Amino acid sequence: MAEPILSVRDLSIVYQARRGQVRAVRNISFDIERGESVALIGESGSGKTTVGLGLVRLLPATASIVGGSIVYRRYTNGSSSASRETKVLELKGDSLRQFRWRECAMVFQSALNALNPVLRVSEHFADTAKAHGYLSGYRQTTALRERSLRLLSMVRLDPERVWHSFPHELSGGMRQRVLIALALLLEPQLLILDEPTTALDILTQRNIMEVLKELRRKLGFSMLFISHDLALAAELADRVATVYAGEIIEIGDVRTIFRHPYHPYTIGLIKAVPTLTSDKSSLVSIPGSPPDLIQLPTGCKFHPRCPLADERSQREEPKLIEVEPGHQVACWHWTHAREALKSFQAES
Amino acid sequence: MHIPVDFIDSFWRESVKTFKILSRNKMGLFGFIMVILIILISFLGPLLWPPETSANVAEINKGISADHWLGTDFQGQDNLRKIINGGKDIVTIALLTGVLSMLIAVVVGSFSAFIGGRVDGILMDLVNIWLTIPKFPLLAVLATVLSLKDVITLSVLMALLDWPALARQVRSQVLSLKSREYIEAATMLDLGTPRIIFRELLPNMMSFIAISTIFEMTHAIYQQTGLVFLGIVPYSSANWGVMISAAERRGVLFNPQAAWSILAPMAAIVLFQLALVSFARSLDEIFNPRLRTGV
Amino acid sequence: MTTITNSHTTSHPVLDGIRTVASSYLLRRLAKALFSIWLVATITFFVIRAMPGSAIDILIQDLTAQGVSSDDARNQAAALMGIDLDQPLSEQYLDYLNNVIHGDFGRSYRSAGLSVTEMITRVLPWTLFSVGLSLIITFVLGIALGTIMAYKRDTWIDHLLSNLAATLDAVSPYLIGLLAILFFGIIWKLVPIMEMRGAMSSGMKPGFTVAFLVDIFKHVRVLLLVYVLSSIGSWMLQMKSNTVATLGEDYVTVARARGLTDGRILTAYVGRNATLPLFTRLAISVGFIVGGSVLLETLFTYQGVGFLLARSISERDYPVMQGVFLVITISVVFANLLADYVYGWLDPRIRLVGGDN
Repeated sequence: MAEPILSVRDLSIVYQARRGQVRAVRNISFDIERGESVALIGESGSGKTTVGLGLVRLLPATASIVGGSIVYRRYTNGSSSASRETKVLELKGDSLRQFRWRECAMVFQSALNALNPVLRVSEHFADTAKAHGYLSGYRQTTALRERSLRLLSMVRLDPERVWHSFPHELSGGMRQRVLIALALLLEPQLLILDEPTTALDILTQRNIMEVLKELRRKLGFSMLFISHDLALAAELADRVATVYAGEIIEIGDVRTIFRHPYHPYTIGLIKAVPTLTSDKSSLVSIPGSPPDLIQLPTGCKFHPRCPLADERSQREEPKLIEVEPGHQVACWHWTHAREALKSFQAES
Repeated sequence: MHIPVDFIDSFWRESVKTFKILSRNKMGLFGFIMVILIILISFLGPLLWPPETSANVAEINKGISADHWLGTDFQGQDNLRKIINGGKDIVTIALLTGVLSMLIAVVVGSFSAFIGGRVDGILMDLVNIWLTIPKFPLLAVLATVLSLKDVITLSVLMALLDWPALARQVRSQVLSLKSREYIEAATMLDLGTPRIIFRELLPNMMSFIAISTIFEMTHAIYQQTGLVFLGIVPYSSANWGVMISAAERRGVLFNPQAAWSILAPMAAIVLFQLALVSFARSLDEIFNPRLRTGV
Repeated sequence: MTTITNSHTTSHPVLDGIRTVASSYLLRRLAKALFSIWLVATITFFVIRAMPGSAIDILIQDLTAQGVSSDDARNQAAALMGIDLDQPLSEQYLDYLNNVIHGDFGRSYRSAGLSVTEMITRVLPWTLFSVGLSLIITFVLGIALGTIMAYKRDTWIDHLLSNLAATLDAVSPYLIGLLAILFFGIIWKLVPIMEMRGAMSSGMKPGFTVAFLVDIFKHVRVLLLVYVLSSIGSWMLQMKSNTVATLGEDYVTVARARGLTDGRILTAYVGRNATLPLFTRLAISVGFIVGGSVLLETLFTYQGVGFLLARSISERDYPVMQGVFLVITISVVFANLLADYVYGWLDPRIRLVGGDN
């Protein structure tokens, strides 16, 4: 039985603010299997981006990882057992630098300014390769160029045209695709995408989604997809985890999550997005706003906004329990949430 | 008239708020107090300690002593007294030049930014041409051709030479603010241009205006002392700049006993400039919340 | 932007020429530069020649006071200043412009007979040497220190250097010069006074000998130090703020995510972007090199262009004043032009290739 390429256990991250400590990530645990795509879905400020940054250890100076472990396992092509296990939180200096992008590449939100304005696209590829000693010998310049051009055409860009361009000569969507191609240059096992399509128009969004699906099919890497958009997750993910107030409140197979969600928040998220075929009356928005991460509410962090909240929700914080094989939820009312919310919504 | 009252009112409220924040920033507070102190001493001092009228041959070039806290000069006059009397010109020039040049710059700069188009383009071209002319040599040359008998004329001349550079900065500030959403909103609400300028634009530029004025003031001091040093501007009164060049000409630098007659006025000018600048820097931190450390 | 084409475009050579100039940014800049030089030359002409109490009148007054008859005085003055007093002003002006284009700035009034151009070329190398060297040092040191301040932001190093920079920036260069003479020459006795006067020792023969080079260096070192101290403050602060801003840019974070080395990020990602605006400033400063510093050169009796200007001002030697002034302005104008082109070449976002951007 192959072990997951990434195992996150009880990860906790805090930010230091003037008012106090912001508990951005609280005891998050999840696995990513080889070739699997996992989506982290949540509102802004839910902590999902912080998780991504923590995985590549690029948190800002005001943040610190206060607990947990991240174990990364490298599989070489063809073998069924991991050749190397890395404790990511213990990496330092050069080994940390090599880990980044080579094993785990993070594509950030809004690639509009992700490329150095004074360097051409070709130089970006050369820089990345050289920093990792990948196809960077003198005799390998052609090999590197060929591989890079191939990646550029895989993301549906005209390689020759883009290769010598400066970033400002490319549109936002093109820059995002260049960044994705760049991310795959070193053949990483894990690709982390943080809101890759948020700043783009809807047509380009569609384009990028298609590109990502195709790439996954061809290259077979694992993916961690971070977004607020549940619908996008549905297209790209094998498993979905909803994040609220710094913790995972539901996680499961993508089909199961959509067909029978158990947590009121997840239900709310699904119902909040209109589909072409749905009724106006089936739209529900989640009242209230996300909690203050410096002074979290007691008990279940969702209870101030939850129509099913009771005295127990206020007192005790629910833990993740397995309600179906591969499906976990953290809620006291999971057994009747769907029914209750349907009737609740019918009333209003 | 509504508009100036609103402006003055918001100006006052801003000043009070600023002072409260200022007292938290030690360097800035120190600078502010120093500036006020120097201004007071320069204007009120001469009333209490008028300048000595005659030379005192017995006391020439003495060092620090109980009688003469800062020593005496080449005429035997007390240096401390000369310092107290020597600030008035310097402070007046600094204030006049700074405020006058800033006033013209704000009017022309914001007008140009608002009008836009060809007028703006031509104005800025003229300003750019003007900026290529080296200011100090021009000032020196003009000073020989015109007669600069008093402080006011010199201040006006310096202000007239310096305002274009400031106007260009004002204009770029206004342009960057103009495109911000709240100005667009105000314009769409049809609030009227004068009101937009006074209530929305200028209060947000207060820090920039204040800081630029202060830097202009230090620049004016430098130019004035330079002109005195070159012997271009004759003055009857002995201000700090005159004290320095007079001492330098008499080779005071080479006489350690007499050193204070040049060190004292130098220290006075340096202190004034430093006080102005530290006050200005703290204003920057105050008005620009992003520069403040911490979240 | 393309020019609007008329359906009746005529092929008139002059109009076509104007259209070409108007549509090319580079040529337009050049035209503006030439215009400003012309403007300054004209202003200088009228200020010196046409104002009451002008140089001519003063010269005539001086000569008559010395006992020369007024007619002879007029003739002598005219000959010395190289102008024909009976010419109408407009013709004098055209003559003057013509002379300027040919590099003839007239003759000195006080140093009888010496051509202004000769006087300027004699002193120019000293100013270029002192200010040029100081500019290079200030630029390199300013960038290095500014980068350190930015990387070590809010540590004691940053606070120390920032305050130092702000203090140096606030104090007049002239006062720094006086303090330097005071401390280095008198209090600490590190530099002999004689070496702080003049550009070289008297009797020294100029040439590429070691002795000569050592001598001129000894004479310029304090002045060099003063130049650097008085200007480095603002360069440091500007570099620091540029670097801090660049460090916050997305592409720097992404560069770290890509596993690039800190060294590469420093040079190609942070360095190149942060120093970009400073190159414009460098180019503009180069223009001001020619003028030197009137005050500092006088203080150190360093016989450069600034010193020449100061002396001509105190001696009311108008042709020299006028010539130096014009030379300084011309070099500043061309340096500005250079700055625009250099920036356009350095920043790929605004590469000026032919037409407008």
